[in-house]
Amino acid sequence: MLIQPIQPGFVGLVTDVDICQPLTARQVAQIEGGMDSFAVLAFPNQPVTDEQQVAFSANFGELEIPLAAQMMAPEKRRFQKLELGDISNFDGKNTDKLRDRDDSRRMYALANRLWHSDASFRAVGAGYTLLHSRVNPTKGGNTEFADMRAAYDALDSKTKALVDDMIVGHSIVYSREQIGFEVKGDGNPDNLKPVKHRLVVTHPVTGRKSLYLSSHIGEIEGWLIPEARAFLRDLTEHATQPQFVYSHKWEVNDMVMWDNRTVMHRATRFDDLNERRDLRRTSLKGVGLGIDSVPVRQAAE
Amino acid sequence: MNMTFTPLTPNFAAEVSGIDLTRPLTAEQVKAIDDGMDRWGVLVFHDQHFDDETQLAFSRNFGALEISSGAELSKPEDNRLRPEMADISNLDVQSKLRGADDKKRLGALGNRLWHSDASFRAVPAKYSLLSARIVPPTGGNTEFADMRAAYDALDDATKAEIEDLITEHSNAFSRELIGFPKAAYGAEFQDKLRPVRHRLVRYDDRTQRKSLYLSAHIGEIVGWPVPEARAYIRDLMEHATQRAFVFAHRWKVWDLVIWDNRTTMHRARRYNDLTEVRDMRRSTIRGEAMTVQQAAE
Repeated sequence: MLIQPIQPGFVGLVTDVDICQPLTARQVAQIEGGMDSFAVLAFPNQPVTDEQQVAFSANFGELEIPLAAQMMAPEKRRFQKLELGDISNFDGKNTDKLRDRDDSRRMYALANRLWHSDASFRAVGAGYTLLHSRVNPTKGGNTEFADMRAAYDALDSKTKALVDDMIVGHSIVYSREQIGFEVKGDGNPDNLKPVKHRLVVTHPVTGRKSLYLSSHIGEIEGWLIPEARAFLRDLTEHATQPQFVYSHKWEVNDMVMWDNRTVMHRATRFDDLNERRDLRRTSLKGVGLGIDSVPVRQAAE
Repeated sequence: MNMTFTPLTPNFAAEVSGIDLTRPLTAEQVKAIDDGMDRWGVLVFHDQHFDDETQLAFSRNFGALEISSGAELSKPEDNRLRPEMADISNLDVQSKLRGADDKKRLGALGNRLWHSDASFRAVPAKYSLLSARIVPPTGGNTEFADMRAAYDALDDATKAEIEDLITEHSNAFSRELIGFPKAAYGAEFQDKLRPVRHRLVRYDDRTQRKSLYLSAHIGEIVGWPVPEARAYIRDLMEHATQRAFVFAHRWKVWDLVIWDNRTTMHRARRYNDLTEVRDMRRSTIRGEAMTVQQAAE
């Protein structure tokens, strides 16, 4: 297996490995090491099936069930495997038909164009996400990644002191609200309640700090809402400056994995009313994201 | 003494020296400033010792004055300044610092979003003139973005897509973005928050240039589902406020900055507003026409 930098210190290209096959412990360790030093890894030319994607993902932890699948009636789900997230513009099981312009699933998914960290609205957010490309539009539909470790490091010392012990509230409602879409939660109001996270998290393996930002954040503990939102916008703007960002243009059978604890991402626009885009997502539960599991800022700093 | 224009970035914003704006101007001087505004979009003048009287007199050279929206959206006894003068300060009517949960303070936080002044009016603002009376030691910059350069830099497909788009603007939309609810304006002012329509692409006869008429006050694109419109406007905003199109002004006391709201956006930056005074006063020139009537050109 070979891991070469695409964007030094942030994105690595992994070749000379077949991830359709079961991996050895050594290969798994090598990929995890790559994730720790880079945070985003791209594996080109990997024609995995859904089952193989789930099997490959399970090497790295416990799989999550996506919130959209949880909230959807079973007969409307495109995949029977609950762990598989449907990142397509298809009309559910009917893959010949694209979603209509005012389809509520489309409205919900449009918020993926805001910078976010997957499942940060859960008490335990996602660790790795793995996204596999099956069909791509001719133009647009990139996924962009922003390095929250570099963004944290680049803050001035006053801002670091301000954010180091900050606790923020995340909810799926907040990200959808930003684009004027109301999430109703269909009898599952617990999924919508804000959860608290530290804004600055320390990676359990590398010990590096990063900004745990996400469009799902809507409040800062102890701050008035408008002040919190204005501040979070400024911080997100800082954290997504071009020098921290990598834009991935998809090729069919690309597998890209990233660490949501250290990376924000977003989708870019494409002609989704006329062109097909099909990606499949698996996510792992994050380790080291809980408010209690992260050591409080050391006194020496 | 002759007026001198010194560019602050290669194509956007210039510093003007050699003129005292507090005294009556000649028609030639007014024209030179107007031409400078067409060329640069933003003009910075230092050491202009205005009081409200002289600032309003100078402003009238460029057209009719607007009544500030702050004055329109509050009771007269709550205003520190006269209605033509927008109070861009963190002071209350007794000239004391506003408290953390002061409603006017929270509403004013919306000025930290990129916007064009009074784009929520059917006939929106032409120039804004902002005079710095007291400035904080750090922070509180005003940033300006060049909407003509931002338009020019769009690819052809995007230019074609947006050419005839009509957007809806309301003060309530920008405040909603930071979680300041429309209801907080009070029942008696809801009428002032009704959205107005504008073209997204404006054309200026004088300079024969197009510009993006963007603003945090935009909440809808006519004919589009709301979430799609908002996601799209965010993308355009990000394009239009790239560093290459932005000039940041660091204020000194007695600076006067004039910007053209038809061709620029601006925003305020954070400062310690609970402990430090920032007193800026803005006069605003009314625009000449509604933007939607340009449609048939």
